[in-house]
Amino acid sequence: MDFDNYRKHYRTAAGAALAILLWMSFFTVRETEFVLVTQFGRPVYTVNEAGLSMKWFFQSTNYFDRRLRIYNPRPSEFLTRDKKNLVIESYVAWKIQDPKRFIETVGDPVAAEMRLHDIVWSGLSAALGTHDLDSIISTTLESVKAKEMLDHLTSRSEQAALEQYGIQVLDVRIKRINLPEQNKQSVYARMRAERERIARQYRAEGEEQALRIRADADRQKEEILSVAYKEAETVKGEGDAESTRTYSNAYSRNPRFYKLMRTLEAYKKILDDKTTAILSSDSELLKILMRGENAQ
Amino acid sequence: MNFREWDRRRVAGAIFGVWILSGVFLVSTDQQAVVTRFGKVVEPRVMPGIHLSLPWPLDQVRRLKVQQTQRLVVGGEVADGALGRTQPVLSQFLTGDQNILHIRTVVQYSVAVPADYLFQTEDVARVTGAVVESELARRIAASSVDAVLTTEKIAIQDAVRGAAQKVLNDYRSGVLIASVNIESAAPPPEAADAFRDVASARADLARIVSEAQGYENDVIPKARGEAQQMLEAASGYKQKKINEALGDAARFNQVAAEYARASDVNGRRLYAETMEQVLPKIRKLIVDNNGNLDLTIIRKGEPAK
Repeated sequence: MDFDNYRKHYRTAAGAALAILLWMSFFTVRETEFVLVTQFGRPVYTVNEAGLSMKWFFQSTNYFDRRLRIYNPRPSEFLTRDKKNLVIESYVAWKIQDPKRFIETVGDPVAAEMRLHDIVWSGLSAALGTHDLDSIISTTLESVKAKEMLDHLTSRSEQAALEQYGIQVLDVRIKRINLPEQNKQSVYARMRAERERIARQYRAEGEEQALRIRADADRQKEEILSVAYKEAETVKGEGDAESTRTYSNAYSRNPRFYKLMRTLEAYKKILDDKTTAILSSDSELLKILMRGENAQ
Repeated sequence: MNFREWDRRRVAGAIFGVWILSGVFLVSTDQQAVVTRFGKVVEPRVMPGIHLSLPWPLDQVRRLKVQQTQRLVVGGEVADGALGRTQPVLSQFLTGDQNILHIRTVVQYSVAVPADYLFQTEDVARVTGAVVESELARRIAASSVDAVLTTEKIAIQDAVRGAAQKVLNDYRSGVLIASVNIESAAPPPEAADAFRDVASARADLARIVSEAQGYENDVIPKARGEAQQMLEAASGYKQKKINEALGDAARFNQVAAEYARASDVNGRRLYAETMEQVLPKIRKLIVDNNGNLDLTIIRKGEPAK
């Protein structure tokens, strides 16, 4: 009876042990992870594929986050080739590529970021040292070489990080370009001076345009008036000519009468109360007065 | 005993049924879902509706509100002097002509590829923020301060959005950027008044020019009116001269015709009439043709009587 009981328990225990072993032989890998299978602390193989996987029950699993991470190194001051100081804030997009190498050399993400900081800092410092300020910041997009510089830096960092630490560097990018605090006051002063110059220029240009418009208006006015004068005088001349022609047509038909009329008209105007006329008694007018009707 | 056996089976069956049915899941209209089996993605994009998956713990369903946009601020608050709560460095960007601007940008993004969104990056917001910020800094470092403040703001926004989207696709972030909006771009307070003066100078320019245009609009129509007046006057003068001449000529012709008929008599008459008009006004001295004239009788300045 006792023995039977033991046997019964033994069977249950064996079943339970088997179930535990089975349970220990399977493991799931999520999309966000790598699993490094180690055997007594020694890495055996890496599982890259998500889903259900198998291992020996005596092997253990180490999970690594394979997702893309963003690392922001502290902003640091760099010197360009033309000896200008820039404060550069960058970011590094990275992920674990080779878990085996990663655990051997780095171990955890915080340590990885310290390594990345060194790689990127020295890379940036070298890259900026070979570029002038105006190839980093400039008013024309074409002359800005920052992207090429960073692509180059990325590929170099990528190589270094992958070989040394099993890290893939996807991107090294500049997040922010700024000037050192001690330079800013002079920048503000320069900005002010520049704005003052622009303001003066606007006002002067306003004056210029206004003067031009006024001068143009005056010119147009003179032009309009002189053209009108020209036309008006022409019209008047036409009138004068026409009237002269009319007079001469009429008068030339009776020149004698015209001469008489005109002379008499002229007398009326010439002779006024300041005139003293000395009339001879022989004159046409007085002949009759003096000598009677038969005088002529 | 039999009953208890049957009952146990029924209970077990019911539990099993419920377990299987727990694989039924609902995706509402604003959502999409991702189904993973043992951690592996088996259904990367489940559209709204009712669906069946393997029950827990085999399958796992993760729902995402794909329509909902997330909001992210890039660049700090614009300096608020009154409150003194400023982090100026956060919002400072350097332009291509080495001016410092305070810029605040709002990014709106949503889910484009649910599986990537969930599993490819550690922190979607952090990635998106970093990418947009770097593209923004690059664009601003390639533009002049006036371009950023005025004309090219929209172009910069579009360029940043396009470039950032491309980078985010390269990262397989599963993010769709809906908009990049430069909410405020302002000069630093240390130079703000100088910038304002430029704005007022621009207004001055417009004012001065419009005053001059006002002058132009005043002078030219007046000149045109004056010109028209001159032309009308000239035209009137012309007609007057012509008509007067015609009138005078007609009168002369008529009189001349009469004169011709008896020129001697008429000549005398006209002469006499004229003398009648003229002679009364003037001082007259009648002298005999034969005698000498003593001119002292004419006193200087003495008016005619």
